[in-house]
Amino acid sequence: MKNSKAYMVLKDNLWTNNPIFIQILGICSTLAVTNNVRNTLIMSAGVTFATALSSMTLSAMKDLLPRKVRMIIQVVVMSFYVILLDILLRAYLPDVSKQLGPYVGLIITNCILMGRAEAYAAANTPLMSLWDGLTSGLGYMAVLVAISIIREILGFGTLLGIRVMPEGFVTWTIMIMAPSAFFFVAMVMWWAKTVQAKGKVGQGAKPAAPAGAQPAAATTVANKETSK
Amino acid sequence: MKKDSTLYVVLFTFIVCAVFVVVLAVANEGTKDLVAANKQFATQSAVLGALGIPYADAAEASAKYAAEVTEAKTTDYRSWKAIVEGTSYAAVEQSGAGLWGTITIILAATADGENVRGVRVLAQLETPGLGGRIEEPWFLGQFEGEKSPGGKVAMKAGAEASGKADADKANGRVEGISGATRTSQAFGSIVNAGLERIKAGGVK
Repeated sequence: MKNSKAYMVLKDNLWTNNPIFIQILGICSTLAVTNNVRNTLIMSAGVTFATALSSMTLSAMKDLLPRKVRMIIQVVVMSFYVILLDILLRAYLPDVSKQLGPYVGLIITNCILMGRAEAYAAANTPLMSLWDGLTSGLGYMAVLVAISIIREILGFGTLLGIRVMPEGFVTWTIMIMAPSAFFFVAMVMWWAKTVQAKGKVGQGAKPAAPAGAQPAAATTVANKETSK
Repeated sequence: MKKDSTLYVVLFTFIVCAVFVVVLAVANEGTKDLVAANKQFATQSAVLGALGIPYADAAEASAKYAAEVTEAKTTDYRSWKAIVEGTSYAAVEQSGAGLWGTITIILAATADGENVRGVRVLAQLETPGLGGRIEEPWFLGQFEGEKSPGGKVAMKAGAEASGKADADKANGRVEGISGATRTSQAFGSIVNAGLERIKAGGVK
């Protein structure tokens, strides 16, 4: 179980190769929707849905796909699912659709979808691609929800619309605006990379290794990770 | 057929696009009535909200709308009439430029335009969390029962605004949203344009 392919994909997408803090994809939507937990949840659910299904579809048609029009077809498939999502939201969840407005359509331009299609679905089975898309979406969701919780509490004094801060709390307008997400994305990156680098030093530490070699080794590993 | 031949590429692209477009068209057609019903409910509930007629759910809203509100015959814009709590009110749809896109509101007031009954936002594309807050109850609540001497409501926006709701209903003044000066100003002028429409007496 622990070393199965599915588990490795899950771990990769949630932690070691997270779309937000390692691959730095989908930052635009991270800035836009994370000032409010409810919108963040809906947006990341939409991204998860679109990534999973478009990865699966593209993987299923990969043997028939001519290389010349690969990207065009990828975009067609992604837009298909996003527009489908938009239609379904408009019909069954009109309030949510109104709140998200143009953001749903912008899922098409979220680089995570294209990234997973190119990096994973192009070389793996449909089922694994579905799982990869799903877990990528969850990795995206985890980071965004964490950021949106802090932003909503500080920016509105509420959590999911319910007041959590005392009545006299002065809300931070900057938290509602997109720039504040930059601070938090950077802090999440900093935290995650520090923890990951520490983990690698721990693994690499062999009793026989010379003391000075350890940090250097850790840096090379870390560099490799970023350049991917 | 070779996978890289022009014919295959063209055929493949054509077939894939055709299949996906057909599925989308079916989905769109299948949900058309539902979307139209949602849109109708959105308008009806906004009119009821602006007129201050309470309703519990969609069914009650549409029943109350049918029973208590009459759509007036205006040519250029939609408008409604209703008698609520013994007073007769007129409601109009009014659109205007916001910061990013068109803001459409439903505004209800007495026929002379001197007393606002209520305002609801039908459509807006303002910044979520800033200008988008024009839909929030604390902001719209300021207009409920607000006096509008001469058919004008003064919007205090920018440096003048305190960011807190203005509780005084007699001063003909509402507070804008801090951090959303442009949207607040735009909203103020849209409300005033709506009052102008009502005052002109077009709603019969």
